[in-house]
Amino acid sequence: MSLALTSAITSAFSSARNRRIPFYVGVAIMTMFLLFTLFPGFFAPYDPLAFDYTQLSHPPSLAHPFGTDNFGRDVFSRVIWATRIDMQIAVFCTIFPLIFGTIVGALTGYYGGWLDAVFGRLVDLVITFPFLVIVIAIVAVLGPGLINMYIAVSSVGWVFYAQLMRADVQVQKQSDYAAAARVLGYDEPRIIFRHLLPNAITPIIVYWMTDMALDILLGSSLGYLGLGAQPPTAEWGVIIADGKNFMSTAWWIAVFPGVAIVLAGVGFSLVGDGIADYFRRRD
Amino acid sequence: MTSGSAEPLLSVSGLRVTFGSSRGDLVAVDGVDFEVGLGEVLGIAGESGSGKSVTLRSILRLVRPPGRVSGKVTWRGRDLLTMAEPELRRVRGGEIGVIFQEPMTALNPVLTVGLQIRENLKEHTNLDPAGRQRRAVELMDQVGIPAGKSRLEDYPHQFSGGMRQRAMIAIALASNPRLLLADEPTTALDVTIQDQILKLILRLRSELNMSVILVTHDLGVIAQTCDRLAVMYAGRVVESGPVASLLRRPRHAYTQALLSAVPRAGIVRQPLASIPGQPPLLSALPAGCAFAPRCSLAIDRCRAEYPPLQEVDGDHFAACWRAAELVGAP
Repeated sequence: MSLALTSAITSAFSSARNRRIPFYVGVAIMTMFLLFTLFPGFFAPYDPLAFDYTQLSHPPSLAHPFGTDNFGRDVFSRVIWATRIDMQIAVFCTIFPLIFGTIVGALTGYYGGWLDAVFGRLVDLVITFPFLVIVIAIVAVLGPGLINMYIAVSSVGWVFYAQLMRADVQVQKQSDYAAAARVLGYDEPRIIFRHLLPNAITPIIVYWMTDMALDILLGSSLGYLGLGAQPPTAEWGVIIADGKNFMSTAWWIAVFPGVAIVLAGVGFSLVGDGIADYFRRRD
Repeated sequence: MTSGSAEPLLSVSGLRVTFGSSRGDLVAVDGVDFEVGLGEVLGIAGESGSGKSVTLRSILRLVRPPGRVSGKVTWRGRDLLTMAEPELRRVRGGEIGVIFQEPMTALNPVLTVGLQIRENLKEHTNLDPAGRQRRAVELMDQVGIPAGKSRLEDYPHQFSGGMRQRAMIAIALASNPRLLLADEPTTALDVTIQDQILKLILRLRSELNMSVILVTHDLGVIAQTCDRLAVMYAGRVVESGPVASLLRRPRHAYTQALLSAVPRAGIVRQPLASIPGQPPLLSALPAGCAFAPRCSLAIDRCRAEYPPLQEVDGDHFAACWRAAELVGAP
């Protein structure tokens, strides 16, 4: 849903003059979430964990813009505090894959040979399994919780970065400027990481943005399944899971965190598209 | 200039480059010999596929597998083909600089020109950061890039084609190499810019007392710039000698045919001669002279036996059975 919405927004502003608008929209959304992450106490009117038995399952009102849940907790405050956890998921799930996958991809793409063969088979092995299935399997073995979720996603997610990087480095290493770097007497680590890598990093950055959006969705799914963040921690997926039993009587508990997830997905994707667009035009 | 000085700077002998393929080895360069003296400009001419670029690239071991290089490339007494990698890296860029045909693609698009110059200086000189910056500005000036200091912070795509080639020369020359290898440095440029770049290379040659190997398919460029010339065909040197005598009195049927295919200004207009046919495939080289199938002077011997490279005149060599008959022609 996030991705469909993103492409709808992007195509609505396809004229040359307005092409940057979706990017700015994305930046605005991300800025908002960043502020929520850094200063949740400033935006949230209530304690996200405080029960208030006088305000059980109240619909949205001025006092509680997103309503309250079955324990009387303010949904608006919970959604804002959850931003911190979900942004943490986005970063912690992708930082290791980003760095490790990029390095592995650059080295295998440049050297080929046995190194490429070994890592190539490892990559094949990992992508044989559906991503969600293998992550759930790992979390199930390690036990539910955020840390184990980071471990599970990291141990699988790097292969996609490695694949992207490997393909691009294989192209870049044939280029004239790579030959020029070689005849200037530079050693191979320098050629790979200083000359080839910056030229091959664009798809990685764009994928990274998408990956963060997907990991928020994944975190929410695992939270919903009880494998990620544990209640009563405010996390979007957990809040939705809490609210799903009350969909017919108190729809606001599940809908507003859902909107937040979609919005975060759209924000990351728009920023990613904007970066990709910037690099395309610079070429 | 001073051709044939006692000790050549670079001497290539028996250079052979083969590429393994599914149908056996293809011989791209077959037994090439030449020498470059101090301050000398050697031209290597030939059609596409004649092996001239591969020859140039194999000097610095730029030919990657499945290509294999054998022979001897002696650089100031050391064999570059067997040298250890760290020592080779000091020669590359430090003692021998290279410029490529396409200034569009041979500069790293994501690094500023200044950074690329300073990187070479950092690798091959002992200058401190301030010294490197000063030298970079000086180099921009030396290769004729106006407002060099501010342009150091520009990226390659902000330069025009000619300026990019100048920037590439500045990078290649940063640490004062003794030899410049130029692989078709002017082919991708406008004619007017071509002339400027050639003059620049010649000026730098004498200012820095550097030798140059210039690979090109353009005989006009050779006539304008080189001291000596080696003509290549199908992976071999077919004729070599001082440019003046070689271009005035070619002693190989191929060189002669090439020269009559060059348009000349100032004489009565006549149809340009072209060389019929195409260069042979490396996978199907004829037994005798590789040029024989296209040669109007070919005799039976040419088709049967490969002619050796022989001295036909003082310092002028040709590998042609009909060399004697060519005297005085065009």
